[in-house]
Amino acid sequence: MRAAGLAVLLTLLATAAGAHPAPNSLLKLDFRATGVHAEYWVPVSELAYARAADPRGGRFADYLLRHVGAESTAGVPWRVSVDGVREATYADHPYLVADLELQPPAGVSPRVFVLLDDAVTHEVRNHVVYVMARHEAGSELLGLIQYPTRRLEVAAR
Amino acid sequence: MRTAAFLSLLFLAALATAAPSQSCRQVAGGRGDAAAIATAVGELRSLLTEAQRSALDKPFGYESAIQWSNLPIGVVPRTGLRLGDLDARQTAAARKVFDAALSACGLKLLDEVRLADDWLTAYDKRPIGWSGGNYYLTVLGLASTGDAGAKSPWMLQLGGHHLAYNFTFNGHLPGATPLFFGSEPIRFEMKGATYAPLDAQSGAMSKLAAAIAAQPGARLSGTFTDVVKGVVVSGTPGQQMTGGVDTGFPQSYPEGTQDRGVLVSALQPAQRQLAREAIESFASFPGGAISAPLLAAYLDPKALAATYVGYSGDTALGARGSYVRVDGPRAWMELVVQPAIAHPEELHYHALWRDKQSDYGGEIRH
Repeated sequence: MRAAGLAVLLTLLATAAGAHPAPNSLLKLDFRATGVHAEYWVPVSELAYARAADPRGGRFADYLLRHVGAESTAGVPWRVSVDGVREATYADHPYLVADLELQPPAGVSPRVFVLLDDAVTHEVRNHVVYVMARHEAGSELLGLIQYPTRRLEVAAR
Repeated sequence: MRTAAFLSLLFLAALATAAPSQSCRQVAGGRGDAAAIATAVGELRSLLTEAQRSALDKPFGYESAIQWSNLPIGVVPRTGLRLGDLDARQTAAARKVFDAALSACGLKLLDEVRLADDWLTAYDKRPIGWSGGNYYLTVLGLASTGDAGAKSPWMLQLGGHHLAYNFTFNGHLPGATPLFFGSEPIRFEMKGATYAPLDAQSGAMSKLAAAIAAQPGARLSGTFTDVVKGVVVSGTPGQQMTGGVDTGFPQSYPEGTQDRGVLVSALQPAQRQLAREAIESFASFPGGAISAPLLAAYLDPKALAATYVGYSGDTALGARGSYVRVDGPRAWMELVVQPAIAHPEELHYHALWRDKQSDYGGEIRH
């Protein structure tokens, strides 16, 4: 069910990308016992505008670490790492897919936090990041991030 | 069938005689009267089958109201009364609904946007539903003739791939929005005539952008690959993913003074006039009874003075990413240039008119 729901969304995003030149991003959160795994789908076309506007350059993983973060609701930063990056294509549109690990400070629950992200939205004004939670029963839309907002309070069910 | 084909030819001939650059300026009275629209809806309904009436009539509420899109039906299926399925008598009756609801400018947009989709049909290989027949009419709630006791809010939705008319009657406020419109191709020929569905609006926005380009702060930061406050793709918890509709409503809008463009109050009189004309070009699609109070609110001297206008990219709108925006106390109007889908080396327009107070008549809550 979970896989089916995500597959449908990805298919929809992919079809929309083929029918539409401004695809959006998808951030899938998987809540685990000690942290959160995040699978981040970023459309290459929109990322290109954003990276061109960030003169610091570097690898995609380094770029993501400058633009994606997490912190407690009290503002205590979490540790964020990029475990891997792969390419994916849906319909006619290429994506980069990054696996991120969001790690709260010791003793802090990983189920409530503030997600920080402007990887594309710091430059592309119409771009939207769909933040989803993965559950056994399916997937759940947690919220959207669009400029000028770069924060989303996340609470796992 | 022959009658329908004949009517279609007459319609094309009438369009071909219209000047492609017809302006859309404020129109007075006449069309847009709720009772007249409701009467025309009733006459159309009397000609429909039960299944067609079921497609036409929807409840008035959030879930129904937000079901408009700027994506073709292969991506976002529509459930209203499909115009391409109507017979000649039903088509004529539907036309009376459009005549009652829309200004001449609004009718022209409807006709030419549908023709543009017909033009695209030959390139629809996947297919994703490019066709002028894939435009739909829906009535949300009870279309009231204004009789006592029949004053509940209702909506007329008319649209498809590149058009979304959402008119709300008996709401807290007169509601003409959200109103999305677009065109691919930007200009095309069909049966010997040339069409440019958004000629008036793109022309007005381009003139405005060119006039303010030298003003400090007029150029907006960032990149625009689509309209900013358009439809979004999302999912519903526990259900199959849906998307491409107005799930972003209610919208938030820029606040403060930064990166919103330049205030109309800071412009010269000739520039202010161009701002007025840009606003009128967007707000003149509905019949005058609908658009007049909205235009009065937008063009009120205090409101106009507090309106920001800004742009990005090419002021001539000849390059992808070019963008022009009107951001007033109530009016939100934006037009963006995108690469075309059928022929990516060419361009196409997306445009959106929202009202920060009266989208869906101020009646819809999530």
